Amino acid sequence: MSVSTALPDLRESYPPHAPHAVPEQKTSLVGLIPGILLLFVVGFAGKFVEHAINTYTKAHHITFPNIEYVLWAIVFGIVIANTVGLPKLFRPGVATYEFWLKAGIILLGARFLIGDILKLGGISLALVAVAFALSLAFMTWLGKAFGLGPKLTTLLAVGSSVCGVSAIIATEGAIDADERDTSTAIAAILALGALSLFTFPLIGHALHMSDHAYGIWAGLAVDNTAEATAAGALYSGEAGKYAVLAKTCRNALIGFVVLGYAISWARKGLASAANQAQLKNKAAFLWAKFPKFVLGFLLISFLATLGTLDPKLYPHLAGYAFLGFNKAQLAALGNLSRWAFLLTFAGVGLRTNLRDLFKQGARPFLVGALGEVAIAAITLALVLGADRIYHL
Amino acid sequence: MPSHTSAKKPVLSLDSLSLDTVAVILSLALALFVRFGVIKSVTW
Repeated sequence: MSVSTALPDLRESYPPHAPHAVPEQKTSLVGLIPGILLLFVVGFAGKFVEHAINTYTKAHHITFPNIEYVLWAIVFGIVIANTVGLPKLFRPGVATYEFWLKAGIILLGARFLIGDILKLGGISLALVAVAFALSLAFMTWLGKAFGLGPKLTTLLAVGSSVCGVSAIIATEGAIDADERDTSTAIAAILALGALSLFTFPLIGHALHMSDHAYGIWAGLAVDNTAEATAAGALYSGEAGKYAVLAKTCRNALIGFVVLGYAISWARKGLASAANQAQLKNKAAFLWAKFPKFVLGFLLISFLATLGTLDPKLYPHLAGYAFLGFNKAQLAALGNLSRWAFLLTFAGVGLRTNLRDLFKQGARPFLVGALGEVAIAAITLALVLGADRIYHL
Repeated sequence: MPSHTSAKKPVLSLDSLSLDTVAVILSLALALFVRFGVIKSVTW
């Protein structure tokens, strides 16, 4: 049986998020194995080092802060990618880290009850809406002030206020942005995402933020889903869980934002004929842009909730309780999610090319950086305010 | 070209599925394996 995939090919160019840098090539599933094994080895090395340090410091009664495997996996990945480099053999498999990220998020649904998602998701969505409006206005003003083109400004604004690279790629098609603007915006967002991995946990600790508040802040402020998950997990496992929840809320909005831009561009007469044709069926447009893994996350969470319902309180759902998971099964799903994230974090490090991060022009990076600082401050104020009111 | 006329078309092609969809299918399959006892426990 012949099996092929259209996963991004990284054999000629790196990092993987340069959508037009390489003509798409087919990679066989067998060709993915070396890279996936490398993700596992790097991630597991991080887990091993965390365990070894904890065991040693405990045995010798040394007080030492627990450094999560997440940081080790990312650092090992960065060191490999920026010293010996990543041989071509491994690149297709390493590019699957986004796949493991999505699988990890879906399986993480087992650790949330639907009620929690509705409460925290509702708060997160409200915060996302406020932060989005403020950050979009600020980024647009900033782009104009620094003399960036309207398309590059739009891509930077969407990337930093909605959800990073995925939002940029989705918006690129809707506004007919050129390749150079797209690559510049992606490079800026990736560079700032890498910086946030190291700055966010420090700020969170300095402010003595709770796991929940910090997790929601990381999910709202860090752009890329992989980096937001990692920034949360670097703080604590619980913070990582809440970072994923808040980030998933942001991801769910991507279709609406892209649709809004596409309509706005079409009204100005700047959209291509193909884009104008797509806009005729707005529901199909939204569905095409909607991240489907959000539905998987909600479905697993629903099944997890079914297993915990008291049949006396919910008699109409009692007949479906057999579909739910028991405690041991929820623990197994939670651990499967952790293994998927382990591969993701290794991939985040392995795809971080420090030289490429500084290759882009200074102005887009500066606009992105100023925007990120403003968005981080806005979302921090919002989360701290919400924490006081709702006790996140 | 319609797919049934292409002799070289793979029997199973993931090309038409998005990364999201494949992730959802795989994760739900894993969840079903756990639910029905094919995967009994997963350690961390």
